[in-house]
Amino acid sequence: MTDVHVVGVGMTRFGKHPDSDASDLGAEALHGAVADADIDPRVIEAAYCGHVFQGMVTGQRILAQVGLAGLPLSNVENACSSGATAIREASLAIRAGEHDVVIAIGTEHLTSKFSGALTPDPSDPEAAVGATMPGVYAMRARRYMEEFGMTREQLALIPVKNKKNASQNPLAHFRKEITVEEVLASRPIADPLRLHDCSPVTDGAAAVIVMSDKAAKKYANGRGIRLAASTLRSGSVDVEPTSMTYEPLTWVTALEAYEKAGIGPEDVDFAEVHDCFSIAEVLRVEGLGLFEQGQYPWAVERGEADINGRLPINPSGGLIGKGHPLGGTGVAQVVELVRQLRGEAGSRQIEGARVGVAHCRGGKAVGIEGAACTVQILVR
Amino acid sequence: MTAPATGVSFRPGELETRPDGTGNLLGSRCRACGAHFFPIREACAGCLSDDLETVRFSTEGVLYTFSIVRQSIPAFEVPYALGYVDFPENVRIMGQISGCDFDDIKIGMAMELSLEPFGEDEDGNAMTGYRFRPVEAHND
Ligand SMILES: [Zn+2]
Repeated sequence: MTDVHVVGVGMTRFGKHPDSDASDLGAEALHGAVADADIDPRVIEAAYCGHVFQGMVTGQRILAQVGLAGLPLSNVENACSSGATAIREASLAIRAGEHDVVIAIGTEHLTSKFSGALTPDPSDPEAAVGATMPGVYAMRARRYMEEFGMTREQLALIPVKNKKNASQNPLAHFRKEITVEEVLASRPIADPLRLHDCSPVTDGAAAVIVMSDKAAKKYANGRGIRLAASTLRSGSVDVEPTSMTYEPLTWVTALEAYEKAGIGPEDVDFAEVHDCFSIAEVLRVEGLGLFEQGQYPWAVERGEADINGRLPINPSGGLIGKGHPLGGTGVAQVVELVRQLRGEAGSRQIEGARVGVAHCRGGKAVGIEGAACTVQILVR
Repeated sequence: MTAPATGVSFRPGELETRPDGTGNLLGSRCRACGAHFFPIREACAGCLSDDLETVRFSTEGVLYTFSIVRQSIPAFEVPYALGYVDFPENVRIMGQISGCDFDDIKIGMAMELSLEPFGEDEDGNAMTGYRFRPVEAHND
């Protein structure tokens, strides 16, 4: 079976784009990926497009804009894992031998669809009693503080770190550094979480072109980065109440990825994880096995997760700093992994990075631990 | 203490209300392995049996965690307290918390089901929903 190689990456600036829509953004990202791969776009054989609130056939509208209509294309919705799921589908099409060059696009024009707190689907029993996504993560933060003694100040160090990283990322939504004091003084959203603990409402898109061994040999000029694993799991129904300070769903998705890639968490050099909220970064990295359970806040305090630390987390700025255009998020994580692994990350470059992990997790439904979770491992 | 809520259940599949103002949260019990689920399921996630019966859950449990929600959708007036309560049947159910000041809410508190007015249906009829309140708040 062929390996899968990420050969071209592109993304728009993340932020507010009042004068464009999801297909404009997707087209810009696609053009960026094609230019980066330095290929004739007509060699692309198939496309997958991840988005959440953009309506029917957004992917087809993107291809029509760039003159590539006619390709087999699937639109993919998997909540905040939509873009990552599009990459997984693209990689499966290549591993299956069906295609040699496939593009995965993730896009979202979120500012035109939504503002304020994201909630589960209104049909959900938890939505019916007032569940919001910040509220759910706030409850997890409260429980984590109770169990492990994490302080509110420690939690604030995560948005401080991620916005510092974002200040070095020209495509990030936020370019300004913040202090712990500013986090603690920001507007309360769901106690103990405050505005700076939350990822913003962001417009943006990203695209990656993946290729088979054969196509990479022809087109990649040695710049391909191997997608060693791309795994997806759905949350299982709890048969009894389980800890909300640990993520079995993240772990099973990661474990399958580690096994496929032939590595373990100890081999990971850096990661982009789904920090939709500050506490989420804690839960993700511990769920991925990158840090011991109950210890990440202290590791952050010691600088271990900084760009020049032992195991940098969210060098792009993460969802909190770079922004979180739902469908675009998972694809943009892989864009960052590729730029880091190629040594093209500029002032936020991690020295000597060889193995990067991207993790997404999205959606909420009653009685299940998370809805859709993805893990991608890229190896230079 | 609020008057007994006499409206129809806001979600009859999940909350049973009776004319005397009492009620229960409803779920499923697997007859094969004994696992309980909220809300009602068609098959057991533990053993895949489809031999499930609908049961009324206990009305007292323990607060697992909570938050004070200060930004929500227009249907809910903020701020409100939201929590997860663990019930003896081994199910964890989310609900708003009433009957006490925000500052008095603590993880591990004993909570009880409280049937309360919960908005109106499309025709403007009062609906009954549920919240959780500290057991100590009985005689407030
Ligand atoms: Zn069973």
